[in-house]
Amino acid sequence: MDNTLYVSLSRQVTLRKELDVVANNIANADTAGFKVESLMVAADPKSPKGSPGAAPIQFNIDQGLARDFSQGALHQTGGTLDLGLRGDGFFQVQTANGVRYTRDGRFSLNAQGQIVTASGDPVLGDGGAPVSIDPTKGPPLIGADGTISQGAQTAGKIGVVRFASPSALKKDGGGYFDNVSNLGSQRAQDTKIEQGMVESSNVNPITQINRMIEVSRAYEQISNIMDGNGSLYEQAIQRLGRVN
Amino acid sequence: MRALSTAATGMAAQQLNVEVISNNIANMNTVGYKRQRAEFQDLLYQDQEQVGSQSDASGTIVPTGLQIGSGVKAGSIYRITQQGSMTQTGNPLDLAIQGAGYFQVQMPSGETAYTRAGNLSVNNSGQIVTDQGYAVLPQITIPSGATNIVISQSGLVQATLPGQAASQTLGQFQLATFVNEAGLEGLGDNLWQVSGASGPAVVGQPSVNGFGTLLQGYTEASNVDAVSEVTSLIAAQRAYEMNSKVVTTADQMLSTTVQAKS
Repeated sequence: MDNTLYVSLSRQVTLRKELDVVANNIANADTAGFKVESLMVAADPKSPKGSPGAAPIQFNIDQGLARDFSQGALHQTGGTLDLGLRGDGFFQVQTANGVRYTRDGRFSLNAQGQIVTASGDPVLGDGGAPVSIDPTKGPPLIGADGTISQGAQTAGKIGVVRFASPSALKKDGGGYFDNVSNLGSQRAQDTKIEQGMVESSNVNPITQINRMIEVSRAYEQISNIMDGNGSLYEQAIQRLGRVN
Repeated sequence: MRALSTAATGMAAQQLNVEVISNNIANMNTVGYKRQRAEFQDLLYQDQEQVGSQSDASGTIVPTGLQIGSGVKAGSIYRITQQGSMTQTGNPLDLAIQGAGYFQVQMPSGETAYTRAGNLSVNNSGQIVTDQGYAVLPQITIPSGATNIVISQSGLVQATLPGQAASQTLGQFQLATFVNEAGLEGLGDNLWQVSGASGPAVVGQPSVNGFGTLLQGYTEASNVDAVSEVTSLIAAQRAYEMNSKVVTTADQMLSTTVQAKS
């Protein structure tokens, strides 16, 4: 049948998905530790029956979602348990479904004195156990390497890990990443913790709005091509069907 | 179209953000008020192609997968319990807490509530009460005619009684702390109550064992910073606009499809 229609349709499908991704980026422009995402599209060559040469038709398919793990801006909040990461590490969090990783460092204490995330899951220390502090011993000071001290006493150390390939991480919602690859994490030596700071999302609103305009115009263009193709057929049928 | 509902979650989140910011600004001059912050988290992702799944029999692994998010949600509203600045009032029954701790307040229901607002006064029977008239615990009574009321940093209340030269001790203030004071549940009127998240109250004498000290003749101002609230308000408004732009775009794309010639 008509390949123009199908090729156009394949592009429209990926464009709609792309708008979904852009919408998610914009909705999360204010989510701490959020990493901007973009849809990767690729040409999918196919050869229709009886066509000369190899694969003259290139469909458009979505190949994957790329996540840009670059550093988000750190902004000062003054919260004692607001921790920003400078570098490529992740905090480790114990959830009901296993260990998850996050860059959202807006922590607080639970009733047992454990450091927990906004969802209430305990943050893990260097040894893989939850970290607790005794609030009666004074405000905690958290060093760049994650060591927590209260006065002259050390209360524990927050563990920060990194992945050789962060693109293997799967997003779990709630700011959590899940490691689904068989590659383990390593201790992140070069990542510094900044107390009293929160890492903003690395979404650049201007880029996202631009992308959105591009997507919407490309969609219209393709729709026009489909219309043009339709009227081509219409004319062809009218002319060829004319008796004289 | 998912983009429509994604943008709607973004608009709802920013609306909540503006509500929290406006509450902070409205309470800029509330004694002992602690500013709040709306915290957002991304919503669940839909896996269209699982990360790490095999794309062919020889074991080639999909390097990134295809996950599409569905927007944002409010995770929590976090109370930032940073110290507010001290305002001098000169009133002998205005107390500011410098450091950790809450005054304990006897509610009419019999329960104990907690407050940082130290603008206290005396009721008709001489009891020290909050500005709603609730007694501060442990109850301290100031006899009529007492002058030179002095409240020390560690909470000792002394006054000179009529006909006596030496000042008399009338009582001792106590403070309560919590493991997680951000987890206290708000009752309004500057009052808070214990919740499952805050942990039980630990009562002790001011200025010892990590309890804050009392400052007589001062009140603790709110810790709202007008400049940062107004900048957050601008950011929230722009974020709202951007999300509404997404709605417009998604709508446009849909209408392009609807209007296509058949």
